[in-house]
Formats: sequence, C-alpha cells, structure tokens
Amino acid sequence: MTMARKALMISPELCIGCRGCQTACKEWNRLSVIKTRNTGTYENPPDLTPNLYNRIRFVEMPSETNLVRWLFVSQRCMHCDDAGCMKICPAPGALFKTKEGAVSFNKDKCIGCKLCVVGCPFNIPRYDDKDKVSKCHLCSDRIAEGLMPACAKTCPTGAIRYGDRDSLIDGAKKIGYEKVYGEKDLGGLGAIYVFKDAPKIYGIDEHPAIPETVVFWHKVLKPLAYLSLGGAVAVSLLHYVAFGPKKDEGGEEK
Amino acid sequence: MTEMVRKTNAFEIINHWVLAISFFILAISGYGFLFQLEEMNSIFGSFNQMRVIHNWVGVVFAASLFLTLFSYIVEALSVSADDIGWIIRGGGYFSKKAKVPPQGKLNTGQKLYYLVALLTGIAIAAFGFVIWLMPGVKKWILISHLVHNISFDLMVIAIPLHIYLATLANPGTFRIMVYGTVPLEWARKRHEKWLREMGKI
Ligand code: HEM
Ligand code: SF4
Ligand code: SF4
Ligand code: SF4
Repeated sequence: MTMARKALMISPELCIGCRGCQTACKEWNRLSVIKTRNTGTYENPPDLTPNLYNRIRFVEMPSETNLVRWLFVSQRCMHCDDAGCMKICPAPGALFKTKEGAVSFNKDKCIGCKLCVVGCPFNIPRYDDKDKVSKCHLCSDRIAEGLMPACAKTCPTGAIRYGDRDSLIDGAKKIGYEKVYGEKDLGGLGAIYVFKDAPKIYGIDEHPAIPETVVFWHKVLKPLAYLSLGGAVAVSLLHYVAFGPKKDEGGEEK
Repeated sequence: MTEMVRKTNAFEIINHWVLAISFFILAISGYGFLFQLEEMNSIFGSFNQMRVIHNWVGVVFAASLFLTLFSYIVEALSVSADDIGWIIRGGGYFSKKAKVPPQGKLNTGQKLYYLVALLTGIAIAAFGFVIWLMPGVKKWILISHLVHNISFDLMVIAIPLHIYLATLANPGTFRIMVYGTVPLEWARKRHEKWLREMGKI
C-alpha cells in the first residue's frame, strides 16, 4: 500500500513551553518519571533519556530587539528518510520504517550494540536498562490506527502538528516561511521545523549528515566484502585452470 | 617407505584449526551483521545470540592468533636475497616450469601471508573489542567500525587465497595441517634451506 508520507511540523514560535507533549508522550508510551536536579533553568529533564522520547529545549537567546527572548524547541527523533541509525544497525527488524515513514523499533530484535548512536546525525537513540534502543517512534502504533501522535494531539497551540508531509510543507510556505528545516536534508526529515532564525540558535544542526565513515562503509566497504571474497575465489579457480597445481618436477633451483 | 620430516607439531596443528574454525564462525556471522541476513537466525538462533557468539569467538580467535606468534613470527621476519628472487619469479606460480630460489621453513609467500594475516587479525580483533566494550563512544566507535570492516575485506581476500595455495595449488601441503609431516623429497624441492639448517640434507 502506498501512502503519503506523514510528518510532524514543529513551530518553535508557537510553543509556550508547557511540556504537555513531554507528559503525553510518557503517558502513551508508559514511560516512568525520573528524578532530576534543578540546575537553575526551567529546562527539565536536561537531556533525552530512555524514558523521554521528546523534550522541550529551553534556549535563552537575547536578540537585538528582544532582550528576554526565550525559545522552546521540541527535540526528538527526526524520522529521517535516509536514516543513519538504520543504515548502520546490524540486526534486521530492530529499526524499521512504517508505511507512514516513521522510523520505529522492535526491542526484541535489538541486540544492544549501540551502533545506531554513532550513525544518527542528531544524537537521538537512547538505551533502556536492558540496553535496548528507545526513542520517539512517531507513535507508530497510534498513527497506524489513524490516530494522531500523542504529543501533537496534546499540544494546545499547534506548535506540534501532524499530517501529510507535503501539505504541511505547502502550508508553511503559504504563511510565509521561505525555508522548512528538514525538507531536503537526509532525503527529507519526518520531523520538520519552521524557524524564524538560524537553526543553530535553536540548538539544531544546520547541515545534518550521517558520519562520512559510515557512508563510506555503506557505499564501498559493504559491496567490497562480497566482491573481495568472490574475486579471491575466482582468481584462485582461474589460476588453477591456467597453471594447474605446482608439479614437484617444477621445484626449486639447485 | 618414503622418509618423512616433521614440519609442524601437534600444538601448531590444533592451534591452526582453532584459528581457522573461529575465523569461519566470525566471518559467517560477520556477513550476517553486514547485510542483516535473516537466514542467520537458523544457524545462530537469533541475532542476540549471534552477537554473543561473535564476541566470544573473537576472544578465541585473538588468543589463537597470539599463539601463532610463537610458531611463525621469527621465521616470517627472516628475510634474504632469496625472497626478492622468489617475488621476482612470482613464486613460480605463473609458469609451468619456473624455478624459484631455495626457501626456508616458510617460503616468501607464506611469510608475507603470515604477516598479512597477523596484522589484519590484530586490527580486526583489537577494534572488534572496542566496538564490543566501548558502545556509544562515538569517536572510538566510528574509527573502530571502519577499521574492523577494512580488515575484514582484506581477510576475505587473503584467506581464500591461502586456502587455495594450501590445498589445490600445492598438492601435498594440506597434510601438514593434519599429520604435521611431509616426505623428505617433497620438502627438499620446496624448503631446501630449512632441510639444510636441520642437517637433513
Ligand atoms: C579451512 C581453511 C584453512 C586451511 C585448509 C588452511 C591450511 C593451511 C596449511 C596447510 C598451512 C601450512 C602451510 C605450511 O606450513 O607450509 C597453513 C598455515 C597457516 N595458516 Fe591456514 N588454513 C586455513 C585457514 C586459516 C585461517 C582462517 C587463518 C588465519 C586467519 C590461517 C592462518 C595460517 C597461518 C598464519 C599459517 C602459517 C603461514 C603459512 O604456512 O602460510 N589459516 N594453513
Ligand atoms: S543498538 Fe539495537 S537498534 Fe541500535 S544499532 Fe544495535 S541492534 Fe540496531
Ligand atoms: S534522527 Fe537519528 S534516530 Fe531518528 S531516524 Fe534519524 S538517524 Fe534515526
Ligand atoms: S510522536 Fe509519540 S513517541 Fe514521538 S514524541 Fe510524540 S508522543 Fe512521543
């Protein structure tokens, strides 16, 4: 079945930092709460954890016109089309794409090698206490049933919206955003952002990329593993046909 | 009865098979990881089990590789003008009646192969342990993942060639890794300098 690719559209400008999405995600995914420490910021928890698939980053970034500018950005798996985590993962079915384009996971298939951590350009995958991958899965269980992801459903301001990727992008362009972050990056992200300022101010990488060594491995070393083996066997057989086994008469010089 | 000489002792033969079998288990599971081959489930049970096996067989492989040092490294590093001659004549492998300079216990090709197997083996094992024991440490894992795979690609070239040369290409060689002995006459033609050192001729 073909289906229009789905996406989350995140508009930091609309986010009021209520963190309803954080809570809704935890509730839907039955993720427990962990104790954190107050370090003098409202941002909490300080990082994604195996029990936190989505969090609001609080960025205090005064601008020339606004001395108390406070930015709120949802950080979560980007559901990359060309997903570095899937590329490097050695276990079939541990990470997989749903028909909506979500990058989901199956803990039973995950072997806990943590290679996806180094393949991901956004530092997203985390591990539970059994060393199994944990991250936002775009509520793949909900969207498969035609429901909205819990975070988008809860968001009171429309800062997180879910829908057909193309129409979300069109909509953003119609209301005046020239650029949609993630429109083209990594084959197109499944979590796209509209920023009023440079992405890096929001703590988001302007040019996300899968590490070069991983790309080189995928494009060159992997095919070479078959070619090398096949080549060595073929050369051996060809040599045998052309020259045959070493005859004792052809031994060494005296 | 043909007179035999001992080329390899029991310890070396056993260690060689430990090395070879562990290599095959590692290579097969390695291909399984590389290409996410679901077929491996029927050999290893599950990918979770395959990972445990790959890691621990890696320990066996590394230990076995280390033990080869006692058998081959001194010989492999002894170089003479005869080695140049051997290389120039392509080891005598590219003509039906080529003559190569007299060889020691290992010929030039075997010495080179040992060094290649040793170096790629050390690289694949050392960086394999990093992937196993330092999960998630990005800088280390990226480099280890790269080197582990480069050495794998080199090994799957070197080892089939080695197997070919030790079997089909050189009749009479394979028995060294079974019985450890070869006919004196056979050894005289292939490892003359070694026999002289031992005073057999
Ligand atoms: C089933 C596959 C294999 C067969 C049939 C085989 C056969 C042999 C034979 C007959 C020799 C003795 C040559 C001589 O002393 O003149 C030998 C030596 C050796 N083997 Fe293997 N081998 C196999 C797999 C491997 C593997 C997987 C490794 C290492 C990763 C390995 C490493 C070595 C080394 C380092 C030597 C000593 C140097 C040499 O003689 O070339 N072998 N092998
Ligand atoms: S930790 Fe799990 S999901 Fe991540 S790369 Fe390894 S097997 Fe794949
Ligand atoms: S953001 Fe990271 S974890 Fe999510 S799909 Fe992309 S590479 Fe995978
Ligand atoms: S899409 Fe679902 S899993 Fe992902 S952050 Fe939102 S609620 Fe959590």
